[in-house]
Amino acid sequence: MPKVEVEGDKIDVHLTEPEITQIKDLLEREPSITEWGMFDVMLSEHCSYKSSRPRLKLFEDAEKNYDYVLAGPGQDAGVIDIGDGYCLAFRIESHNHPSAIEPYHGAATGIGGIIRDILCMGVRPIALLDPLRFGPLKNNPHSQWLFKYVVKGIADYGNCTGIPTIGGEVEFDKSFESNCLVNVACIGLGTIEDFKHAPSKAYNPGDYVILMGGSTGRDGIHGVTFASRTLTEMSEADRPAVQIGDPFTKKMIIEATIEAVKSGYVRGLKDLGGGGLSCALSELTGDGGTGAKIDMTKIFTREPNMNSFEIMLSESQERMAFIVKPEGLEKVLEIFKKFETAHAVIGRTDDSRVLKVYKDDKLVVNLPATALSDAPTIPREEKRPDYLDELLAQKTPEPPLEIKDILYKLIASENICSKEWVYRQYDHEVGVRSIVKCGDGDSGVLRIIGTNKFISASVGVNSKHCYLDPYEGAKGGLVEICGNVIANGAKPMAMVNCCNFGNPEKPVSFWYFSQAVKGMADFCKELRIPVVGGNVSFYNEDEVTNTAIKGTPIIMIVGLIEGKENIITLPFKKSGNDILIIGDTKAELGGSEYHSVIFDLEGGVPPKVDEQKVKTTWNFLHELYKNNLVRANHDINKGGLIITIAEMCFKNKLGANLDFSEYYDKQLRKDEFLFSESVGRFIIETAPQNYDRIIGLAKKFNITAKKIGVLIPNPEIIINGLESETVKLDVVLMKKLYDSTIPNLMEI
Amino acid sequence: MASEYIVEIILENKPAARDPVGETIKRDLLAKKGYDMVSNVRSGQYLRLYLEAESEENAQDIVEDLLNKLRIFNPVTQNFKILSLTKE
Amino acid sequence: MSIKIAVIQFPGANCDLDAVHVLNNVINVEANLIWHNHFKESQYDGVILPGGFTFGDYLRAGIIAAHSPALDEARVMLKDGRPIIGICNGFQILAEAEILPGALLKNENLKFICKWIKIKVENNKTAFTNKMNKGDVLNIPVAHGEGRFYTDNLKELAENEQIAFRYSNENGEITSESNPNGSIENIAGVCNLEQNCLGLMPHPERASEAILSPYGTTHGKLFFESMVDFIKRRS
Repeated sequence: MPKVEVEGDKIDVHLTEPEITQIKDLLEREPSITEWGMFDVMLSEHCSYKSSRPRLKLFEDAEKNYDYVLAGPGQDAGVIDIGDGYCLAFRIESHNHPSAIEPYHGAATGIGGIIRDILCMGVRPIALLDPLRFGPLKNNPHSQWLFKYVVKGIADYGNCTGIPTIGGEVEFDKSFESNCLVNVACIGLGTIEDFKHAPSKAYNPGDYVILMGGSTGRDGIHGVTFASRTLTEMSEADRPAVQIGDPFTKKMIIEATIEAVKSGYVRGLKDLGGGGLSCALSELTGDGGTGAKIDMTKIFTREPNMNSFEIMLSESQERMAFIVKPEGLEKVLEIFKKFETAHAVIGRTDDSRVLKVYKDDKLVVNLPATALSDAPTIPREEKRPDYLDELLAQKTPEPPLEIKDILYKLIASENICSKEWVYRQYDHEVGVRSIVKCGDGDSGVLRIIGTNKFISASVGVNSKHCYLDPYEGAKGGLVEICGNVIANGAKPMAMVNCCNFGNPEKPVSFWYFSQAVKGMADFCKELRIPVVGGNVSFYNEDEVTNTAIKGTPIIMIVGLIEGKENIITLPFKKSGNDILIIGDTKAELGGSEYHSVIFDLEGGVPPKVDEQKVKTTWNFLHELYKNNLVRANHDINKGGLIITIAEMCFKNKLGANLDFSEYYDKQLRKDEFLFSESVGRFIIETAPQNYDRIIGLAKKFNITAKKIGVLIPNPEIIINGLESETVKLDVVLMKKLYDSTIPNLMEI
Repeated sequence: MASEYIVEIILENKPAARDPVGETIKRDLLAKKGYDMVSNVRSGQYLRLYLEAESEENAQDIVEDLLNKLRIFNPVTQNFKILSLTKE
Repeated sequence: MSIKIAVIQFPGANCDLDAVHVLNNVINVEANLIWHNHFKESQYDGVILPGGFTFGDYLRAGIIAAHSPALDEARVMLKDGRPIIGICNGFQILAEAEILPGALLKNENLKFICKWIKIKVENNKTAFTNKMNKGDVLNIPVAHGEGRFYTDNLKELAENEQIAFRYSNENGEITSESNPNGSIENIAGVCNLEQNCLGLMPHPERASEAILSPYGTTHGKLFFESMVDFIKRRS
């Protein structure tokens, strides 16, 4: 890593020699030490996406191709128009590395960060979702520790700020043992007017620049040594490696920001993340075509004797930058005073197109505002891993146990069992919007008070499927997550993703990323789902053992339900009703829970996606909904179709008398049939009098829909029609196993 | 020859770390209620351990060992300080 | 008569807008969100101290908000006989302000808990429970980390009929399984001697609309309807 020296101060820069030369040529001089720090941050992988941008270009231009998309990738959050004058903003981000070091504060500050991104769109954050990945909990105190404190960090921060966590997902796999994944997503709700008042561009010269929120300390300053630093200054040991979040300050920031935006005087809004104030300012002015003159002495600091480098590059939490119309300055300052959020007017925008930062009379930053936003890209090699063919060829061994016992094992396994231990710690009802709560549906459903509209949201992906085939796995993830919102009656409206992969400089890791992006891009284009945002987290690997995580492209879908009567929930409702299966079951056990739990096998053939079939299935379901024909719906995923049916039986303690004679494809082994994780299938409950109508519609849409049983009042699942003895499962026992796994592991 | 020792320990956030609890007490309680002569408040957790040890040095070693090994303080964000060590 | 209710917004309150929504749109009574420093008791017929994490719950839940001038105004209101309800953090604030007896400590299992539970009506003569029957079992959710009620004066509270609600099962039986946080004697809510101030940990504003309740019930409404009735009868 090259070291640059400016007047005795030394800094490590993660820039290549060509990049360094390019910078000197652009400025026609040597940059100051602060300017070097800014380039180093902004051209880093994390901020500039230099490895990933070439692949991310595969996504369709959302703003151009979908008229209801108001803001697409590149902005602080994706925003869609949902009608009735309302818009939704949402975004997903990763906070993997800090959480692996310090799970509580790492996860908490992750939540803090994503809330700020939503606030920047001028809307109120109304929901959080958290997809997480850890190593298996059993016999692993380290994984248990990470899991416990990540959940607590998310809970404490989310609860304190009054934003309900309405959904999430946890997967346990060995590959995440040293590199846990903590992705956090946030949804915001506001009026179109609110959104229009807060573009993150400072496009008008003469506006005031206000810094608001937490104070500025030396957080996040690395790789620089100052010649003038004396020994009395605090050392690295005095500073936490992971910042301590303050959800109370955040809550005040939320209220102050929303009220300021509603005043109509806010012209630009940006939260301070990587690269701190310097990068936020350059983004605001660069994107807005203006410049700014900033007086550093106005910035309120938390530590004594901070120099210009430290002030401009500090990554202290809970800070926002506001661009305010001159005529509204008093009003906005009054609002900040009311909520007692610390603030300072630090400068004004102008038409110079240059960002100038002064400390007293010394000019410490003098950069063209666009200097930092045009980062070059780096071409990366990709290579399909050699181990894949062997892995895909792995055959499913003969079942070592009876079907019954396999199912009891599966329902209790870490990836399938109840996560109630997690969501009981989240206040998922604050805001009085939560209609379908955790456990009652595949997605969280929120109402929009004053309308007859409901938002449905879900996150996740199957990392094991993606490991075997990242292209089909990413597509399958979309089928599953869209399926989750569809199962609750919604229409998928838009998607954001968070790509968690290994070191992009390694061709195999980059291949996984590239294939996953291709899969998502192809599917979304075909199914007309706009991609309105995304986040990429690279370098999730264990340097010691040289193993990367199973590449995980987390998908988040937000959907819309029109009308309360169209909301559908997961639990079976009434004994006597029919149980139908929608979709075809294939021998697709690659990466299945059956393989890992029963055989400790990672390979096999993973599920493939047929986009046309998926499209018609979704249309078919919506036709059923339109005619009010569905009483319960749950999409089939981990563990296969019996697990799905069991989960639907739990809440109302019903049972199912199943007969697969008309559906079971005899080409499959019994276990292949029962435990297949083929995507795009649903189990629905319908009233018997509607059977003919439903089958008629299925024929019309050319979709497989077969009655496979009826609901019975005894809590047992009876399986017939598989050319073997009848299998009987005790639903009460299954629920007990399902409910007790995580509490048993965590409550030591 | 073993004796009883009482050790008082404080766990607090590292000096350069934020202390939202301390800051809020100072800003929203003390300063507002006429105690603005208080310039700073830092918060922490107090523990008092009763233990058997051979000597004062031995007692100190035991306490430091258990605080570190059992991660009773969070080494990423906190420091600990032994406030007092007395023989019963 | 036109009734005006204040919902007091302390820094960090989260359930304030929820309470305003229920009063305005479900109970159809005018409710104003008022910043704690701006609250003047003479303008209101009743007050709600909503739930949330005032001042981050730093030091102790409710302690910093308890020192707000809004509580001095509240004391005047109560002396005058007007009704005040403290929900969740609001209850914690009233306890720290020593307007209500007892203290709210960390939940027994040391974790935050968010779930629907049941409470049994022990006192139906307060300003907020007069539309309930003694012994009624209500469906209502809790969401708190510091909800364990404790008091040294159990005997006094019982004698003075200050115990308003107890956690119970659906049959009204006071069991340990139905106690979500370890509160002494399953106490979920208490009132003052004059019976015009009520504090409880569960959230009636989350249980006032059928669409939000897993049981389709609206037991939360009873609290606010009782308050309106109480105000009307006083005038």
